[in-house]
Amino acid sequence: MSGAEASFAEQLGRATVRGEPAFVGALRAKGREAFLRLHLPSQRHEDWRYTSLAALAERPFAPAGPASAPAKDLPAAPRLVFVNGRLDPRASDLAGLSAGVRLSGLAAALRERPALLEPLLGAGAPREDAFLALNAGLFEDGALVELGEGAKSERPLQLVFFSIATQPVASHPRNLVLAAPGSQATVVEHYRGEGPYLVNALTEIALAEGAVVEYDRLQEEGPQAFHLGHLEVRQGAQSRFTGESFALGGLLARVELRARLAAEQATCDLFGLYLGSGGQLLDHLVEVDHAGPRSQSREVFKGILDGRARGVFAGRIRVREGAQKTDADQVNSNLLLSDDATIDTKPQLEILADDVKCSHGGTVGQLREDQLFYLRTRGVPLPLARAMLTWAFASEMVDKLGPDELRVRLARAVQARLPGGALLREVA
Amino acid sequence: MENEDVMLRIEGLKAQVAGQPILHGLDLEVRRGELHALMGPNGSGKSTLAGVLAGNEVYEVTAGTVTLDGEDLLGLTPEKRAARGVFLAFQYPVEIAGVSNMYFLRTALNALRKARGEEPLDAMDFLAVARERMKIVKMDPSFANRGVNEGFSGGEKKRNEIVQMAVLEPKLAILDEIDSGLDIDALRVVAEGVNSLRSRERSMIVVTHYQRLLDYIRPDRVHVMAGGRIVTSGGPELALELEEKGYGWIEKEPPPAAAEARR
Repeated sequence: MSGAEASFAEQLGRATVRGEPAFVGALRAKGREAFLRLHLPSQRHEDWRYTSLAALAERPFAPAGPASAPAKDLPAAPRLVFVNGRLDPRASDLAGLSAGVRLSGLAAALRERPALLEPLLGAGAPREDAFLALNAGLFEDGALVELGEGAKSERPLQLVFFSIATQPVASHPRNLVLAAPGSQATVVEHYRGEGPYLVNALTEIALAEGAVVEYDRLQEEGPQAFHLGHLEVRQGAQSRFTGESFALGGLLARVELRARLAAEQATCDLFGLYLGSGGQLLDHLVEVDHAGPRSQSREVFKGILDGRARGVFAGRIRVREGAQKTDADQVNSNLLLSDDATIDTKPQLEILADDVKCSHGGTVGQLREDQLFYLRTRGVPLPLARAMLTWAFASEMVDKLGPDELRVRLARAVQARLPGGALLREVA
Repeated sequence: MENEDVMLRIEGLKAQVAGQPILHGLDLEVRRGELHALMGPNGSGKSTLAGVLAGNEVYEVTAGTVTLDGEDLLGLTPEKRAARGVFLAFQYPVEIAGVSNMYFLRTALNALRKARGEEPLDAMDFLAVARERMKIVKMDPSFANRGVNEGFSGGEKKRNEIVQMAVLEPKLAILDEIDSGLDIDALRVVAEGVNSLRSRERSMIVVTHYQRLLDYIRPDRVHVMAGGRIVTSGGPELALELEEKGYGWIEKEPPPAAAEARR
């Protein structure tokens, strides 16, 4: 057993005796059993072929202790702020919630409204996965987002997850978004932090019939961080889900996005941008499962990799028997800015219905010399020309973000990480 | 003998692409305020010359000199040439998705201004200038916020090159086949745009395969290229002669002495 596994096994042993409702205890016990059986995945596992967890596995992780959130640079209310996996009520602010919209801490909700959560918690994630098992066993808190029937959230619902560590610690936030029929909202998850730590987060989103949810995920973890994020989406009939994943920070960061279009005429748009430099490894596994007829999915994921950074993208589209008239499309485009940067990209289509439209495509390339030359003949110096073209590649994804404030903020964050990004600010 | 009025001086220029020689010792002088037409059959080296002057690294210069107002050009990067006042209108303007036309042009103008020690223009002042210049070629204002040349028709791309020239106000403009792919109406609009930008301070080299363009843009001098050099030069009447006889006679006759080919 590796250092990390031993430390988690020890914590899992203690986690089942907390005086929580029995169904939570049962969930934790199942998590413990599964983790001890599965172990951390090695590269022999098909889903982990290109991503080595060796650097994560070698060290023990302690449970993350309480800390308070930095007071500055918090998004506008309504927001819930979590630090090291626990709600920080002082940094959180529920002002401006629209009628029918409720934001709570999951730990508090489990104490106060166990009957509501019993049928929901863990319902969507029975998959065999070591990190999901770990999350079930060790989660402390997270966000519960409830959108009542027909409720429309005027403002984006902001969830911020800070990690603050001096020694290696791990937190396992667990979030649940329940969108009742006809509800509408934008939910933003924002991951930040400093120090050596692991975040192992799970968000489950259930969209009932006709619900419309935009979910924006901004991963800006600190440079020593390990980040594992799971998103599990279940879509009802005529629901519309737009998911965006921006992976900027972390030493090793992997996001698994899974959407199940369970009923007819669901629409799912997934966009992503990963921006790696130095020795970062940024990994996306995206799985869209068409189980109902006449559903539609679009995926566009883009990567920009500099230095020795590595990108991994696995895109899976599954069309089940009976999911006729499915329309699914997937694109993964990558820009390699250095000779040492690499990308492993793997599309996978599994189609069991006969009347469907499915496609995938993508590119791996460098900045185009003809475009650079064109800009330079107009007087644009080479470093700025490079930055302009790199930003042009990235901005298509940033522009997909709904909330204006968020788009501006992310544009700045992306530009700050691009080579020559400071030059872009000068000419803005 | 130095002539103060000579802006561009090319002497003995040889260039190759991928080891294949294309220019075989080319000489040319362009005085301030003059418009020269550079004609010749396909493969004669016209576009190579345009590319070499703008600094396209695809071309390797193996011999000769090029000076702009006495300063060596060949040692400069494309952006530094632009700062000195060189502008190339591309035969095939490049599409750049995700960079808006106006952002691109303001960035370019301010980069040039910075290189010349001038203050940058802010967005509002720039927009006023750009809108004015777009009228020169009757370009629809909606093109301002589209990606650079993105989804433009051939004619729209050529107009956009002229708008760029009008905003950047170069000293020496090299127009590489701006007439190619244009119908007669578009050709007239582009040619009028070019004519409106002629001045005593600005020199132009108009590269074209066809005499048709010169019905609208009257050159001071016409040069004919073949086999990587200028084989004959003359006044506007030379273009008409070419129209009548085609390029065949040029390739048959022995090239005139270099001294005659030059102005």
